[in-house]
Parts: sequence; C-alpha cells; structure tokens
Amino acid sequence: MSKLSTGRKASSSKLSSWVEPSFGDLFSGSGLNSFTLKKGVSSGETKSKSQTLNPNVSGQRPSKRRAISSAPEPQPSLGSELRSESHDEPWVDKHSPCSQAELAVHRKKIEEVENWLRIHLDVKAENKSSTILLLTGPSGCGKTATIQVLTQELGCRVQEWSNPTMGSEFRTEESFRETFDPDSRFNGFHGVSQTAAFQEFLLRANKYSRLQMLGEGVASDRRIILAEDLPNQFYRQPACLHDILRRFVRTGRCPLVFIISDSLSDSSSSRLLFPRDLQEELAICNISFNPVAPTSMVKVLSRIVTQEAARSGGRVSVPDKAALDLLCTGSSGDIRSAINSLQFSCLTDCSLESKLWPVRKGKAAASGSRGMSKARSKSKTSKGHEIQDDSQAIGGKDASLFLFRALGKILYCKRESCTDSEWPRLPPHLAEHQRDTLLVDPELVVEKSHMSGELFNLYLQQNYVDFFSEIEDVAQASAYLSDSDFLTSEWSSRSTMREYGSSVATRGLIHSNSARARANSQTSVGFRPLHKPHWLQVSKKYRENCQAAQCLFTSYCLTPVSLQTEMLPYLTKITNPYRKMAQIAFIQEVGHLPLRKYPGRMKLEALTDRDPGTLEVDSEEEGAEPIGPTPSQGEPVAPEDSTLSWSQGSEGDPAAAQLASQPQPSTIQALLDEDDLVIEEYDSN
Amino acid sequence: MSLWVDKYRPTSLGKLDFHKEQANQLKNLVQCGDFPHLLVYGPSGAGKKTRIMCLLRELYGPGVEKLRIEHQTITAPSKKKIEINTIASNYHLEVNASDAGNSDRVVIQELIKTVAQSQQIQSSTQRDFKVVLLTEVDRLTKDAQHALRRTMEKYMATCRLILCCNSTSKVIAPIRSRCLAVRVPLPNTEEVCSVLTGVCRKEGLLLPAELAKQIAEKSGRNLRKALLMCEACRVQQYPFSADQDIPDTDWEVYLRETANAIVSQQSPQRLLEVRARLYELLTHCIPPEIIIKGLVSELLSNCDGHLKPEVAQMAGYYEHRLHLGNKAIYHLEAFVAKFMAIYKKSMEEGLDGMMF
Amino acid sequence: MQAFLKGAATQSAKPQKDKPAAGTCGEKKPKSVPWVEKYRPKCVDEVAFQEEVVAVLKKSLEGADLPNLLFYGPPGTGKTSTILAAARELYGPELYRQRVLELNASDERGIQVIREKVKTFAQLTVAGKRADGKPCPPFKIIILDEADSMTNAAQAALRRTMEKESRTTRFCLICNYVSRIIEPLTSRCSKFRFKPLDDKIQEERLLEICEKENLKYSKEAIGALVKVSEGDLRKAITFLQSAARLNGEKEITENIVIEIAGVVPSKMINSLLQTCYNSTFDKLEIAIKTMIDEGYAAMQIISQLHDAIIEEKLNDCQKSAITEKIAEVDKCLADGADEYLQMMGLCSVIMQQATRNN
Repeated sequence: MSKLSTGRKASSSKLSSWVEPSFGDLFSGSGLNSFTLKKGVSSGETKSKSQTLNPNVSGQRPSKRRAISSAPEPQPSLGSELRSESHDEPWVDKHSPCSQAELAVHRKKIEEVENWLRIHLDVKAENKSSTILLLTGPSGCGKTATIQVLTQELGCRVQEWSNPTMGSEFRTEESFRETFDPDSRFNGFHGVSQTAAFQEFLLRANKYSRLQMLGEGVASDRRIILAEDLPNQFYRQPACLHDILRRFVRTGRCPLVFIISDSLSDSSSSRLLFPRDLQEELAICNISFNPVAPTSMVKVLSRIVTQEAARSGGRVSVPDKAALDLLCTGSSGDIRSAINSLQFSCLTDCSLESKLWPVRKGKAAASGSRGMSKARSKSKTSKGHEIQDDSQAIGGKDASLFLFRALGKILYCKRESCTDSEWPRLPPHLAEHQRDTLLVDPELVVEKSHMSGELFNLYLQQNYVDFFSEIEDVAQASAYLSDSDFLTSEWSSRSTMREYGSSVATRGLIHSNSARARANSQTSVGFRPLHKPHWLQVSKKYRENCQAAQCLFTSYCLTPVSLQTEMLPYLTKITNPYRKMAQIAFIQEVGHLPLRKYPGRMKLEALTDRDPGTLEVDSEEEGAEPIGPTPSQGEPVAPEDSTLSWSQGSEGDPAAAQLASQPQPSTIQALLDEDDLVIEEYDSN
Repeated sequence: MSLWVDKYRPTSLGKLDFHKEQANQLKNLVQCGDFPHLLVYGPSGAGKKTRIMCLLRELYGPGVEKLRIEHQTITAPSKKKIEINTIASNYHLEVNASDAGNSDRVVIQELIKTVAQSQQIQSSTQRDFKVVLLTEVDRLTKDAQHALRRTMEKYMATCRLILCCNSTSKVIAPIRSRCLAVRVPLPNTEEVCSVLTGVCRKEGLLLPAELAKQIAEKSGRNLRKALLMCEACRVQQYPFSADQDIPDTDWEVYLRETANAIVSQQSPQRLLEVRARLYELLTHCIPPEIIIKGLVSELLSNCDGHLKPEVAQMAGYYEHRLHLGNKAIYHLEAFVAKFMAIYKKSMEEGLDGMMF
Repeated sequence: MQAFLKGAATQSAKPQKDKPAAGTCGEKKPKSVPWVEKYRPKCVDEVAFQEEVVAVLKKSLEGADLPNLLFYGPPGTGKTSTILAAARELYGPELYRQRVLELNASDERGIQVIREKVKTFAQLTVAGKRADGKPCPPFKIIILDEADSMTNAAQAALRRTMEKESRTTRFCLICNYVSRIIEPLTSRCSKFRFKPLDDKIQEERLLEICEKENLKYSKEAIGALVKVSEGDLRKAITFLQSAARLNGEKEITENIVIEIAGVVPSKMINSLLQTCYNSTFDKLEIAIKTMIDEGYAAMQIISQLHDAIIEEKLNDCQKSAITEKIAEVDKCLADGADEYLQMMGLCSVIMQQATRNN
C-alpha cells in the first residue's frame, strides 16, 4: 500500500506509468480484500477492468478520489498493516442492517412492508391464501435489506430463488440431455428449462416445508418465498410468468415476495412483468421504495465510519461531514453504491492529497464568500474550459445530471457583459436584438447531454415557459421550437437536419428571452424546478386511444376523425344499453373531459439529477441515444467513480464545488446557487 | 336499439332524403350498365357513405347489406406484417387504407388484387365486377395514390373502385381524371330539419320546429352530428321544449373554455395552463388539427376585426406546420403564444387609444 | 414479348385511357368502350389542329424515313392519338402488333425494363414488306407514353439504346413537359409541340360525337364542356360520356357539365371576391364555410380564384401579393393542410390587399 502512494505521487507527472503498478498493487498488496470489494460494487469487474485499461482516464481519477475521501488532516502512514480482518468483506455486507433502526429506508415504508408480512404470515394454515408482494424501487434503496431485517425480526424463514447456472440442482436432467442431444442446443432449451425450474421451485417451496431440524421451534412454519432475479425468459415472455403466478396463487400457501429494481434504463420491467391488470387479478400488493433520503444516508454512513474508525484504530481515514455529503449526492439515493464508495475512499490516503485538499477548501471558501473571488472565478469561466469541466464532473452514474444542468445552461443562459465600446453595436432598428456575449455554447451543451436534439428540445419545450416573463418572448421562442420541429420533420433528411434543428431551438430560446439579454440585466429568476417532458406520454396515449377507438367501434364504419370528434363524445350523452363493456369503459374514459375544472398545472414528474434522459421513447420518436458516458470519453460508470469525478470538477470550478457539497436533492439548489453566484459577480463588475 | 343515425339510414337510392336529383343520376348510371370508377367527395356528415351503400344496393341488391368485419393481415414485400380491418359483403370490400400509415400502398395493391382475382361467388348477379370501396383516399400517401392509378387500370375488368374522400384537393390529378367525380354537398338547414323531424316521427316523438332548426344550425349542417345531437337532446329532456339547451360535446365546451382562458389573460403562466388543457384534449382523442381549427374559430369570434386577418393567416401557417411536423404540441403552442402576443399588443394599443 | 402484348390487349379495353382500340374492342360489349377510344382518330388526316406534325408524318407515310419523335404538349391534345393513327396506317392491323411497342407510366419502367423490354423488342429485325404485299417501312416503333415520369437514370439508359438500335427502331416519346426530358434525349429527337386545341375544333368534335351517340344536349352545355376542359379534348369527351351516363335519356345541360367537372360556378367565385372587397371578416368566414360545406375542393377554388384575380381591377402590386399567397396556399394544400384555414388565410390576404388602396 505504501507502494501505492508513492506510485501515485509519480502519477502527477507521468500519467500512464503509474496505473498498472497502483492497481497491480491493489490486487497483490491487499489481495483478496480489494478484489472482493470490487466484486461487491454493483457495477462488477468489467468496469474496474476498463479503468486499468484506460490509463488516461483513470489517470485523473485518483486525484479526484483524494479530494473527497481525504480527511482534513493527512493520516499518517497506513502501511501494510492495512491488511487486517476488518477488510475481509465489503462494508456493504459487513454493515448490512440488522435492525429496523439501522435501515436507511423511510419508516413508513418499513411499516408498510412489516404490516403486510405480519398479516400474511399469521393467517391460519387452513385459510391461508397465497399472496404476492412486489417490492419495486431503484437499485440500492434497501429493498432486500428491508426484507432481510423484517424476516429476521419476525422469525420467518426465507426461501430464495436464484437463477440456476450450469450444474445447478435444478438442471441436472436437462443439462444432461442437452449435452447429448445436439438438436436441443439451439432451440431455446435453456430458457424453457429455467422457467420450468422456477415453476418447480415455487411448487416445492410451497408444498414442503423444510425438514424439521433439531431444536427448531414452531416459528419455522412461517416462511416466505423470495424471488429477486427472475429467469430471463420472463422478460421476453411475461405471459409465462403470469401463468405460473396464477397457478401459484391458486395452490400456494405461503407469501411470495418479488423484488424488482427499476433500473434507470428500463423502468418498465416491473410494468412488463407485473402489468396492472395482473396486479389486480392476483391481488398483488405493490410497495415501491424511494431512493434513500440524503439525511438517512448520511446517518448510515457516519455510523459506519465511526464503527470502522473505532475498529481500525486510526488506520481508516475518516472523511469529514462535507465528504459524506458529497458521497450522498454522488450516489443519488443508492445506499449500496454510497457505502462502496465510502469504503473505497476511506482506504485511500496519501500526502499529495493533503496538499490538494486545502486548495479545494480554499476555493470552496472563496465561493462561499462570493463576490470576493471575482478575479479568480472570472479567469476560470472561459467557455470551453468550463464545459469541459462540467462533463467530467458528472461522469459515471450521474450522466443524467448533466442533462439537468444542460437544460439549466440553456434556460438560464449566462452572458458576459461587454462594456467595451469597440464592440460593434447593432443599428437602431435592430437594437432590440442586441445581446451580450453568450457564455455557453448551445451546440456543445446539447452534444454533451448525450441525447438527440429532438429529445433535448422536448425537455426544453417542457420547461422554457417558466423562465420567461413576457408573452412576446414566449411567442418568439415557441416559434423557434416550431421551426426546429419543422426542420427535422422529413425523416430522409433528419440525420443531417437534426443538428440544425437543435441549434435553432436552443439558440432561438436563448435569443428570444429578452429579459436575459444582458449580463447585468439578468435578474435572478429564482429557482425553477425542471420537469420531464410530458409530450411523449401524451402522444403515446393519444395514439393508443385512437387505435382503441378504431378497434372497438369498427362497426360504425366511420372515419377516425368523425368517430373521435362526433360519435364518441355524443355516445357519452346518449344512454345506450346494447354495448360491450369495453366500449362503455372506453367511452367513459375518453368521451368525458374534466369540465369546469381548471387543471392549473399538470402534475408533472420533476426532473431530478437522478433522471436519465431516456424516457420510454415510443416508436414514432427517434430513439434517444442511451445516456451515459460513451467509451470514447473513457468515463467508466462505476459508482465510486462518479463521486470521484465529481470532486475533480469541484476543484476546477467553485460553483461545482458548491454544487457537489450539497446534499442530494439540492442539485437543483446548487444549480441555482451557481447561477446566482455568477450573477452577483457580474453585478459587482 | 341502435343509434338513430344507423337505425334510420336510408338503404336505397330512392329513399334518400336530399340531393334527389343526384340520386336519380346515380340510378341512371347503374342502369346504363357501364359502371365507371367513382370518386365521391364532400364534407363529413353529408351522407357520402350512405349514398354509396345505396348505390351498391342498387347494383347488387340487398345482399350488400350483409356485412362482415374482417381482420386481414397483409405481408409487405419487406416481410412486415400489416394488419387492417376491412368490412365486406359478398360483392364489395370496404377498407380504409390510410389506417396502415406508410404501408398503405401495399395494402391497396394486395387487397384489390385479391378482390379482382377472386371469382364472383354468385353468378346470378348480372354484374361481372366487384366493388372496392376505399375511404379517406385523401389521406393516402402520394405513393399509394400513384399505385392506385396503376391498379385501377390493371383490374378494370373485374373490379371497380369507389373512392370516398372529404376533398379532392389531396387526390392526385391522374386519379381524378380516371374517375367520375360525384360531389355530395352538405344538406341545407331545411333538409336537415326535415330529416330530424322525420326521424323523430318514426321514433314516436314530437320535435318542435324551432328546436329542429336550432339543432340544424348548431350542427353546422352536418347530418350525422345533427342526429346525434337530437338523440342527446332526447336523453336530456323529453318532451322537447323549443328553447331546450342542445348538449355540446365535452371537448367542444372544453375547447371553448380554453379559448376563453387565452383571451382573458396573456402570460407565460397562462400559456402553461393552456398547454395542460391541450394535452388533456389530445389524450381524449381529439386530433390536433381539429383542436387548432376549433381554437381558431373560438378566438376569431373573440377578437377585434383588425386582428382577424392576421389570426387567420397565423392559423393557416401553424396548421400547415402541424401536418409537416412530428410533434403537434410545438405548433399548437406556438400558435397560442403568438395569438397571446398579438392580442395583448392590440389590447394595450386599445388602452392607449382610450387614454388619449 | 407475348405476355406484354396480352397485357396491352387487355388494357386497351379500359375506358379513359388512350390505348389502341384496334382489334380489341370486340372482346367487350360495345357500349362499354370509352368514347375516348371509340372516337380516336383512325388516320393521321383526322388528327385535328396539329398541322406541323401531321405534315411530317404524312411524308413518312409516303415512304420517307421517320425520325425519332418527341411529342410534348398539354394533356388531351392528341399526342398519343397521332402516333397511334400513324402507326396503324404504316403497318395495318396485322403487323401493328408486331411492330409497335407501347409503354406508358402505368407499366413498370425502371432502368431494368428499359434495358430488357426495349432492347429485346428493338433487336428483332423486320422486313420491309407487309403480309398483304404493300410496302411498309423497315423499322419498328416504340412509343413511350408519359416519358416525363421516367426516372433520369432510365432516360439515360434509353439514350444508348436509342443510338444502338437506330437502324431498326424509331422511338416516339410523349410527354407533357419537355423540360423533364434529359437534354441528350431531346437532342436525338425531332420535337413537336402540340398546341391546346382551339375551342372551335373541340366544339366540332363534341358535336360530332353527340350526333353519333344520339345525345340530347343544349348549346350551353357544349360551350361549358369546351370551357371546363381547357383545351383537353380527352377530358371533354370523358365528361360528355359521364354526363350521358348520369343523365339517362334527359338533355345534357350546362349545370350537369359543371357538376361533373367539379368546377365551382363562376357566380360563387365572384361573390366570394366581392365579399373580400366589400364586406366584413365575419361574412367572409361564412362565405368560405359555405363553399367548403358545398363540397368544393379548395384546390379548385384557388385555381379559379387565381384566374379571376388576374382579370380583376387591382394594381400589379396587389395582384402579386395575392398570387404569391395563392402559391403558398397551393403548396400547403398539397401538403395536406386544412382547406378551411388555408382559404381563410388566402382570403384575408385578398381582403387586406383590396382595402389597402381603395
């Protein structure tokens, strides 16, 4: 480990050479420990591999890492004694909660789950009906931990399904046959057998309780079946699962718990596997977990830190409060990744870091006392530079955060005052179009947001109105958006026009906001929440409804338009008993509009830094490129990296430091602060 | 108990309630034996479809009324499967090919080919051709229309086309020149009234003349709408009274409120509210074109004379955009915002004028 | 080859298409032959109004060589009829089938077709004698109808073929717009422009048909036919036949002709213009609404409005502003925009322009 720190010192001068040794050191030095640690990290080994493979990127990482992890005082040498027992397992496992109090999940949620379990476990055996609980939520929000803790407390056994691999007990026969029957190899045998195995598992777990062991009490009768990973086949054919579940509900005797993570990329998996109608049919109880709140996360983290610090006797560097906050923000509600990062950051220590630390602190302080650091921040706000920093600052898991900020950049459009008289002025009749120099490069912003221009425009369209004060400006801006859509309408030319379209939209929006034409006239618009575009849902719904209307009412032989605008609305007014249920339901849904009710503003899904740009993009829309750092940019997606790269950004940019040191939901706030900060600096100009 | 619209739909050319002269002409056409392709056009609710069905009955007898809905799957050359609903009798096949979107060309070619190549089931009829009824021809892609023109010639011997559309503007000239065009105008107010009264009589109801007239006017001479309105009136209140409220559809009321919201305040905040309302309308299956049209007519009635030409042109501009663009909301919103801007400006000018 | 001829034969029975009627009309009941085919000129002399081309063709009939031909001009002016009549005279009914290949836009005409079909046909050599002993020119004729809808690539492919086969084959390209034929092709052909038919000649022809078909007609109806057909004789004859079909035994009137043609009565156009000039916007709204409700196509309305505007007493500035808007509206309509809103847009421009100086 000492070798590691020396290697790192060298790194500042020689980027490429140090990586191998340092990582090699990690592997050889701390041996198994660090390896298991890596495995514990949800992102797996591939990413850590990519780190080692990409010297350039990881070259910057240690320095970032240092920034968050380091304590104010540099810890004296850790040396080789670091290899102690306390590091034998990842902290995630080591500190997995063992009581409700330790859970980072919201009290109410725990209660909810507990109640459910109590009710369904304690029903007498004869009228015990099998029931299904579905836990959903983003990864690392404590779903599994909650179940573990609760089952422990309630004293019931958990029978967990895990996908069989080759040679697993469920597949003996099949794999045997597969080896000898060449035909069966390629006809999806594998999927079928997994499904069958799953069914078998449910059946067995349901029917037979475990063999009575010596000393086991009556309580062992209480048990639940837990299924966390499901056979892949189900994702392809959810109907299989549904059939099995129906059968299970009919025959089953003990509760079945599913834990499904809504991963960011396909939040629809839970919807796909457990559609609403199925949930109703089988009375599946769905409890969805929220990301862990920053406060409780900080609590957990500091608990772990104190424990670790006490145990390790000073060998673990103890991060301060700010660093913990930073970790929380970076993990954006994923406690697993937060703990992993914590462990990682506590491991590290070096003297170089200690040099950097005060600098960062100083900067943070400077940014705290705004105005004063004018000169310094000014020097840093050269355009390209800033954006460069931003994109690095938000690497890893929080690629989406950049979307949030990218929108902010366009909508808040910072400008630089140009008081110099040499600047050519527009002639009087065009004076209204005079704008100060823009500090952002819209094209770059869109590009860095990793999404297609069209999708970005949708985000803009959803949010721009809040940033305008004059309806004239809004009219102009909306005209630009309309132009932009028009430019990309022709699919054959779309690939070329796309960029122009997004330029028109972004620049048009920026230009038309006359209230923000001048650097010094930019009053703070205050904090505005950003939202996800509503249009995608609306247009999807529109198409679905139109299609449904066509299907259900074919017998009227009407054109779609007259069906939708004449027939259906009047059908709501006419009582006609001879209709199918589906038709009646549809008429009720579509024909009626909420009259005399000003909706005010629609309930919108707020866009937080956790949201990636990808909504379910329907077939009509051009698919948005999956967000996330592309390999070419060499930003691996490991969670710990995200926090690391964060602090890197914060070194360069005081505003980002401000941003980074805020607890979780406050990225919004941070964005605002950043903005305000800059404005004030200009004001004092 | 079907709807009045369906229940009292005339089934023979002789029983049609209006445009009787045209009905006679169509009769002549059937009798002269040499039946050309037809292009029937006219506004929605003018009775095009009714007229066509009467004509088919005249051609083939009551057998055409035995309809069955079929769900056909057509495989495009690109192996893409296209599903489409058709309505068919033994003698004819009705299809709205525009349902198939961009694959409409394949649908048309395949369907007509199938029909033209299949033998007439009953040889007893004197006709040696079947009829393919294509609705909403004006919504077909240009590609499909060109294909149609070729298909028309190719299968002329065994198959006639009846094309049905709202306007011939969007039908390409070669098709127009190959068809006998039949224009079906909307019935005038009196004709609508008499149909309404007639239907009510058959239902055993008494419809006051004033109410009939009001319904006719309110429906904009659209007979289907008028009949639906009348039936809705019946549900709402019977016996009818002359000054009874005629129920509007929810979306029309909603749209009117939206227009009022636009006129009463012009601010970004209000625009957001309007946007929410537009979304609401869209999710209730109201097509964006209808929304903008409805908005325009409401707004026009609400604003000053000197603004109207500008608003009209703006509406035309953005409605056109609506057809070309991908995402309707941009254009709807741009229209609303623009209207707000010019309306506000004119109001301010008006105020200034009053000050002096 | 054989398949092609069969195709042509069945196609020729279809109405409203200018196809060779010779020898095929027997298959169908005589009443279902479209009049356009029935009254197609049988010989070059019967071709009306196109003296220039007739003279050239006549010369070739007398034994001179025939150049490659390019006929262009508005529809219904007798382009196809002329070449068909000439071919028939050249070859007589028997040889006609072997010697003439007719392709129109309805047939597939990609490069492939040009290469294969045209080539195989062109490569067959022919004798300079007819079966009945009469002399006939030692070449074949390939008629490419609606040549302007051929792709440029196909046209380019044709160029080579044309040169190579010039010994045995003459091409006759027929199109509406000569500008859509690529330069190398036009330079290889002798071009003939077909003028829109004179009203008088049209009237003569129509009257002749009426006579032969024993139709009852009014003088105005024929006048209207001539007017709505705009020099397109085929259109006029088609309309006449449609009118006869619809009317049964009754007299053909002006109204029915206008109705069939889908033309807006000029009275309506004029009243619309008057509304634009003198009335309020609300009245204009109603007027437009009524027109649309009557089922008139906006395309038709604007094209008639255009003609009317040109004649109106407005200054050039106003006219140009209006016609520019007409062009815009036309494009929008073609893109599928709403007729009512587009008409409103156009009429509000007319209104603004008209009130500007008056």
